[in-house]
Amino acid sequence: MLAFAARRLLVSLGLVWVVASLVFLVIHLIPGDPAELLLSQGGIAPDPAAVEELRERLGLNLPLWTQYVTYMTGLLRGDFGLSLQDEHPIGEEIALRLPRTLELVGAAGVISLIVGVPLGVAAALRAGGTLDRVLSACAGLALSIPVFVVGTLAVLVLAQELRLVSAGGYVPFARDPGRHLALLLMPACTIVVGLGAVVFRVMRSSVLEVLERDHVRAAQARGAAPGAIIRRHVVRNALTPVVTVVALHLGSLLGGTVLVEFVFNWPGLSGYLVRSVEARDYPEVMGIVLVISSLFVLLNFLVDLLYAVIDPRVRHG
Amino acid sequence: MSAAPGPLVRGEGLTRAFHRRGGLFHRGAPVMALRGVDIAVNRGEAVGVVGESGCGKSTLGRVLLRLMPPTGGRVLFDGEDLAQQPAAHLRALRRRMQMVFQDPFGSLDPRRTVGAQIADGMQIHGLAHGSGARDAVAALLKQVGLDPDHARRLPHEFSGGQRQRIAVARALSTRPDFIVADEPVSALDVSIQAQVVNLLADLRAELGLALLFISHDLHVVRHLCDRVVVMYLGRVMEEGPARDIFRAPAHPYTRALLAATPSLRHRGTAGAPLAGEVPSIANPPSGCVFRTRCTMAQPACAEAVPPIEPMPGAADRRIACLRAAELSP
Amino acid sequence: MRRLSIRALAAPGILAAIIVLAAIAAPLLPLTDPVRQDVANRLTGPSFTHWLGQDEYGRDVLSRIVWGARVSLSVAFAAAAMAAAGGTLLGILGGYFRGVVELVTVRVAEVVLCFPPLLLALLVVTLMGPGAGTLVFSLAILFAPGFARVAYAETLSARSLDYVTAQEALGARTRRILARTLLPNIAPPLLVQFSLTVASAMVLESGLSFLGLGVVPPSPSWGLMIRGARASMEQAPLLLFWPCLALTGTVLVLNLLCDRLRDLLDPRGKAAGRPGFLRRLVALPAAPVGALPAAPGLLTVEGLTLEIPSRAGQVQVVRDVGFSLAPGETLAIVGESGSGKTLTGLAVMGLLPSAVKPVAGRILFTGRDGQVRDLLRMPETDMRALRGRDLAMIFQDPSSSLNPLLRIGAQVGESLRAHGVTQGVKARVVALLRQVGLPDPERAADAYPHEVSGGQRQRVMIAAAIANHPRLLLADEPTTALDVTVQAQILGLLAELRRAEGAMGMVFVTHNLAVVSDIADRVLVMYAGEVVEEAPVTDIFAAPRHPYTAALIASMPEGEAERLSAIPGAVPQPWAMPTGCRFAPRCVMAAEACRTAAPALVEIASGRHSRCLRWEEMA
Repeated sequence: MLAFAARRLLVSLGLVWVVASLVFLVIHLIPGDPAELLLSQGGIAPDPAAVEELRERLGLNLPLWTQYVTYMTGLLRGDFGLSLQDEHPIGEEIALRLPRTLELVGAAGVISLIVGVPLGVAAALRAGGTLDRVLSACAGLALSIPVFVVGTLAVLVLAQELRLVSAGGYVPFARDPGRHLALLLMPACTIVVGLGAVVFRVMRSSVLEVLERDHVRAAQARGAAPGAIIRRHVVRNALTPVVTVVALHLGSLLGGTVLVEFVFNWPGLSGYLVRSVEARDYPEVMGIVLVISSLFVLLNFLVDLLYAVIDPRVRHG
Repeated sequence: MSAAPGPLVRGEGLTRAFHRRGGLFHRGAPVMALRGVDIAVNRGEAVGVVGESGCGKSTLGRVLLRLMPPTGGRVLFDGEDLAQQPAAHLRALRRRMQMVFQDPFGSLDPRRTVGAQIADGMQIHGLAHGSGARDAVAALLKQVGLDPDHARRLPHEFSGGQRQRIAVARALSTRPDFIVADEPVSALDVSIQAQVVNLLADLRAELGLALLFISHDLHVVRHLCDRVVVMYLGRVMEEGPARDIFRAPAHPYTRALLAATPSLRHRGTAGAPLAGEVPSIANPPSGCVFRTRCTMAQPACAEAVPPIEPMPGAADRRIACLRAAELSP
Repeated sequence: MRRLSIRALAAPGILAAIIVLAAIAAPLLPLTDPVRQDVANRLTGPSFTHWLGQDEYGRDVLSRIVWGARVSLSVAFAAAAMAAAGGTLLGILGGYFRGVVELVTVRVAEVVLCFPPLLLALLVVTLMGPGAGTLVFSLAILFAPGFARVAYAETLSARSLDYVTAQEALGARTRRILARTLLPNIAPPLLVQFSLTVASAMVLESGLSFLGLGVVPPSPSWGLMIRGARASMEQAPLLLFWPCLALTGTVLVLNLLCDRLRDLLDPRGKAAGRPGFLRRLVALPAAPVGALPAAPGLLTVEGLTLEIPSRAGQVQVVRDVGFSLAPGETLAIVGESGSGKTLTGLAVMGLLPSAVKPVAGRILFTGRDGQVRDLLRMPETDMRALRGRDLAMIFQDPSSSLNPLLRIGAQVGESLRAHGVTQGVKARVVALLRQVGLPDPERAADAYPHEVSGGQRQRVMIAAAIANHPRLLLADEPTTALDVTVQAQILGLLAELRRAEGAMGMVFVTHNLAVVSDIADRVLVMYAGEVVEEAPVTDIFAAPRHPYTAALIASMPEGEAERLSAIPGAVPQPWAMPTGCRFAPRCVMAAEACRTAAPALVEIASGRHSRCLRWEEMA
């Protein structure tokens, strides 16, 4: 088990390195000078002297590999460089905002599992019945509504028309825990609409598939009670694909919260990213992309470990 | 047809390793499916390859046809080393060697008509075109005992036995000299098995085909083959004329295999069944691979791999056993 | 089935066609210019000239929605098409050639998939600036790995299929194999992936436009419209509604199309109408057991008839099957595929698949308490109490019959716990594992199924089956999946169990006559859903009294004869049974009478039955 974890960790670290190098290369090798790009906002050709000065300040005039080594060693120390707009250390800003995004994604993931897994099992056990049809139709609809549409409509209906909740915003947990959680609920539930539907669907089809397996019939032949069969022989075996799918979606959510954070004014990492993209602040974009991608890789690593916990074959294989 | 002296197909010291699929940086130790197999098939001869799962019999068939390159050793077809041939010449040589597969459901393309699939080989090698190909397909279908009108149907309209006939027709379409049949009857019901075995026997007599017949069923092999090769964990244990091997099996493994095969004839257990199971191919025993289950094993059996040598007293048989002298018929 | 799915495709297909047509025909439709502003009438509600009202610049909303469809769909289709072409090519090459190509394509795809999709799009936008061209490019990069992955996986699985190898063996060029054999066979999942991608590309496009990083104003785009309407949400909430409806509706239609397409192309995924497994379908209403036969013995099956639905209505897959079994006796049921032997066994256990319905007959079983019950009419709860205690079963494939995630000991112990044993389960499990000949039973109990060999897994299944000393053991092809030498061991073990559990009756279902000769007392031969012959084991081999049995024995590749004697033809399909004797079309002895009337199973001697009009001629 330990050897398995170590091996997977090594692979993950390798992937992070590849991603970091790739981000660096893409930014630096793409035609167009970042300094020029930055200064040419508004469509006016920038002053060559100013561009040259900026290039010097950013180290863009150095050979590529020197820049690469500098950047990579900086990363090892947790130094992501300075923002081009206000010269604020990027690492600090990320450290401030990342927990908020993680909290949002985590809450959405947990609620989705709590909603999706039991409903998926219930629908599968009565496949073709009324409950199954209603739930499946709801899931189909939920999957088709883009997340920012859900968010915007939720703000329109719940906040503006019915005045049930506030339209968005953020209050630190330490200042007002109750209000913090209340504000968290709306964006989290907005994500749950889509994610919960995904969990439901995967769980449903996975349970249906497991129900057909020989070992379920063998357990029936031993006289095991239906409840025990579902618990021990069906749900546990059906969870493996759900783990994969949820992880994959949570990963894409790390970047995908952009829209939800935008709609609900949630000051997470994604809002920061949009701002950086708009300002073409490439060290910022690089830093954020790198952090999110690394988290994605980390998530995959954790999923592999979780697999090993669920499935003994992975552990020994 | 060139007729170089010597056997039509000869495999010399064939080994084949498989790498288990690992992660990006991790590669498992190779699994040796074949470990130094020598085999020869003469023109018009039927050779049976027999063994339990994991013995490497299917790998041997594919390596001989170069559908899979050997890791070591070489395959000579009509005197030509297949590994040395340029791609175009190898493709041309493929006309003369064909294959029939085990699973009659997986061996035919579900989306193309039976006729089109039988005609493929003729088109590829320019043997027939247009109406010529159609007539040839009809003749082939008739030859394997099917209605020539069936050419327009899709594979799913046929039963397992019929599909296996179609697969045989496809193999015959290039007028080959050599056919590898990989467990062609194992997936069929007993009553259908006999049909296909008889078909193969008839075709062989009629066309003078050389045949490598791979099977786990000793009885089927006895009916069809001139010579038998018994394999275990990637090695040849015993080889010889089919009649002799069945009448007087020499190698302890062959004896155990024959005794374990259920039979209507000798009711009651023919001796105690072989203990244990085939060891993992990834971690085979040292020395003689069979020694862990062998009733005759001695300490020396763990030391060295017994070479396969002509059996004392029977020049046309070969055996790989340290105690061969005691086993002679 | 297939036709049904095609009809299901019609509704979303037509809707999708209407949307696409409207988008293509936008310049031809009598719509106002989508970018013409009319600031004086900004945020006006629906009117006769502006059916859906005017937006924050006074532009016509309906016109903008139709033109917006044009932008959204063209971006989505262009991106999906580019991604499909590039990704599929890479995936096929990687899957077919393996080696370096595989390493490069698969790893590159993996790295690209490391970036969350929206993030990657934003990265491209940073580099290239917003605009429709950038959008198409970034979406194509985003979705290409998805296609590569699907194409790669499908190619890999198709590559190992025999018909692809067969093409190679025929000497076909790689190009021919890829184009003629591989691509058509991996096309269906790619088609599904394509429609899925169009939908997700639309969602992403509108999302980016919503953020102001996608389509550049004043071009109409649904995302941009939502963004604009959001600002004036308080004055004109309805403005927000229209683009949301258009976007969601279109995505819904595309998703629906995709689902139906998947059902059509992959019928395995279809689960509709499958009843929950909790409710066992007892088609026969409970009834008094009725008159008992003279000697009910351990098990008496009478007139068992099972039906399945098919294209031609209900068909009988098992017809009027009857047999009996005394305590301590072993009965072998022998037959080829389609003979109904396995279904007969499952009917006794009450474990028939839900599609199979018993319609007639009874299964009388004498339980441990001496009471005779009709298993075919027992409620599931009562049946469950018998299963694993009085009745036990061993299955064909020991690898799939054990739950891979549970320890062996837990699964064997389940038999005990399910029937109220709570004390000393662990010790009993170890004793059972020792009894079935597992080396080191203590360790085996703690092992997972994948850690022991195939033969040992079957021993585990046997241990679980005999845990409660059942009265009746059903063995359904227990050695078919095993090697010959291991088969001999398992047969030896079963014979040993028969001696140890003296009163236990056994039904041994198999297709292999030779296996039966050692283990059975009596043999029941089934053909096409019917019993054709029943006899003591010695008699059936020495003197078969049904042409099918005789032909089956003759076709065994054992004799010294040069040529095997084959049975011509094939087993008839259940929906195309011959009117007379079901074996007549393949029978060498068939006469005219055999083809008109179905013969009955007649007792030809004490303990011997045959379903043949001409059995006397065989003596």
